[in-house]
Amino acid sequence: MTTATLSAPATPVRKTREGRWAGVVLNVYLVIFFVYLFAPLLVMTLAAFNAYDYPSVTQWRGWTLKWFVELAGDQRILQGLWNSILVGVGVIVVSIPLGLAGAFILTRLQSRWTGLLYGVLVSPILTPGIILGISTLIFWRNFEVPGGLFLAMMAQATFIASYSMLMFMARLQRQDRSLEEAALDLGASSVLVFRRVTIPFLAPTIFTAAVIAFLQSIENYNTTVFAIGGNWTLVTEIGSRFRFGLSPVINVIGVIFVALTIIAATIYVILKERDRKARAAR
Amino acid sequence: MNALVRTYGRTLTGLFVFLTTAWVIGMIVIPQLFMVERSLWVRQESTQLSLQIDRLYNDISLLRFDAQAAPDIDKPAVENKISKIEEQIAELEAQEKTPQKVYTLSNYTRMSGLHFKIFVRTIIYAAMVTVLALIVCYPIAFAVAQVATPQAAAFLMLGLIVPYAINELLRVYAWLMILDYQGVLNTMLQWVGVTNLAKHEWIPFLESPGAVFVAMVYAYILFMVFPIYNTLETLDRNQLEAARDLGAPTWRIHWRVAIPHAKPGIAVGCIMTFMLSAGSYAVPQIMTRGTSGDWFSQTIYRQFFESNNWNVGAAYAFTLLIVCIVFIFLMMLVFRVGVRDIAR
Repeated sequence: MTTATLSAPATPVRKTREGRWAGVVLNVYLVIFFVYLFAPLLVMTLAAFNAYDYPSVTQWRGWTLKWFVELAGDQRILQGLWNSILVGVGVIVVSIPLGLAGAFILTRLQSRWTGLLYGVLVSPILTPGIILGISTLIFWRNFEVPGGLFLAMMAQATFIASYSMLMFMARLQRQDRSLEEAALDLGASSVLVFRRVTIPFLAPTIFTAAVIAFLQSIENYNTTVFAIGGNWTLVTEIGSRFRFGLSPVINVIGVIFVALTIIAATIYVILKERDRKARAAR
Repeated sequence: MNALVRTYGRTLTGLFVFLTTAWVIGMIVIPQLFMVERSLWVRQESTQLSLQIDRLYNDISLLRFDAQAAPDIDKPAVENKISKIEEQIAELEAQEKTPQKVYTLSNYTRMSGLHFKIFVRTIIYAAMVTVLALIVCYPIAFAVAQVATPQAAAFLMLGLIVPYAINELLRVYAWLMILDYQGVLNTMLQWVGVTNLAKHEWIPFLESPGAVFVAMVYAYILFMVFPIYNTLETLDRNQLEAARDLGAPTWRIHWRVAIPHAKPGIAVGCIMTFMLSAGSYAVPQIMTRGTSGDWFSQTIYRQFFESNNWNVGAAYAFTLLIVCIVFIFLMMLVFRVGVRDIAR
């Protein structure tokens, strides 16, 4: 087998019979995997349009849009969405400065403590979410701050700041320091350098990090559920519906999530494709 | 630090240091320490105290009874005794109003048999979820990183990200509908005659812990795919070609070339998956419709919000954290990777 391929002209991917066989198996596996990934989402979407009172696709009672109407009138869910947005904005405000500060110190600090500091600053990512919620709740209790939107925001920001920091560090490692040095040599003050050289360089990452921080905050359940107290966000409200009154309204929320994701993904692909074409044309 | 001061000046550097310190101390270290502190004490139970007080009151009335019968010479001594007991009572009653903090390990050692069983089972299941996710994800990561053409790879990545962008609860929720009594799976089994829904003859998938298991693999699968993909992407295809040309069978190419290269990614994927599943509150809650407590995270939640016993809850939470930390070090040891490789 191998001698045949060795003497064959160099094709992009040379394959033995065994290699081809493995390729077929892999393709079949890919198809099964993606069915596994998407079939549940399809089930969820279909059930949102079923007129049956309990979320189901097997008890089919005809197509309906009434669950969409019901969602639009659901005060608790709308309030939850608003709360989620408040918490998300708070998380951006807290975690972006923290992430930036941590990234600056870690990329510039030459010390044997850097490794330890790095470990501590990324540790929230590796800590189970419920523990971040619990420790925040217990800590703030000493200052008579009960669970609520503020604590949910603080608990989420603890680990979302770590994600932001990693993104900033990746960007800072590619930074051309000579620009800052040049500006300083030409007499710019350090604040001016920071504002006119460093921040513009980081701006795209700050934007991406803010978007990701917001999405992570909206999505979060395990941390939030411990820190939210008597209040609620969209996701904790969905969580409590599993206990009290499951209805296809939840499926509608799912459908909206799916639709938004697909729209965002499509826009991303189109933009990327346009970018690629523009680059090719240049 | 000098490099920072030189570039950004004292004010900005001071701000960076202040923010980082506030984050490390105020949000990471101190809250964890408070949680540990909380797990190390109990309030002395007031039921015992009130029992003691009751007993002392009994003693007084007995003494009073004795005093009536006693000769006059003994009376001062008895009165003295009574007043001493009354002092003791006043002290105990003050204590009863402000229960005492007693430092003890009993929050850890008192874990009941049931809770311990749930704890052990959670750890075992989380480890199984991790292994299963690794087996399922490795070929996917390999296919996207090495086999697919760039366009196909981009498309596959998008296919991986779309379900990942949808909320964890909703992703898992779909499985509830599939595994429900009259769900998709039972209906399909009816077609082949295994179940009969009209006669309520169905397989109660949701009652078995396997339901949580399946949904959990589904929920956290992508935390395994992405780290492995990231490392495999940097593997030079020529290495694979060379191995094949030298006559290595497919399994050996993976075992000797691809997997060693993917080690850091595998370690990260395992750590994330284990941590997420061991600490998952969402998945078991949904799959059991919020009723049963098969997962340790649910036990912890109950300690906080149903039994209102924060000290025991904190002890359980800390126990879980220790297991996760041990797992991280174990993975670092097994795959020989450093902290820097872990979170990238």
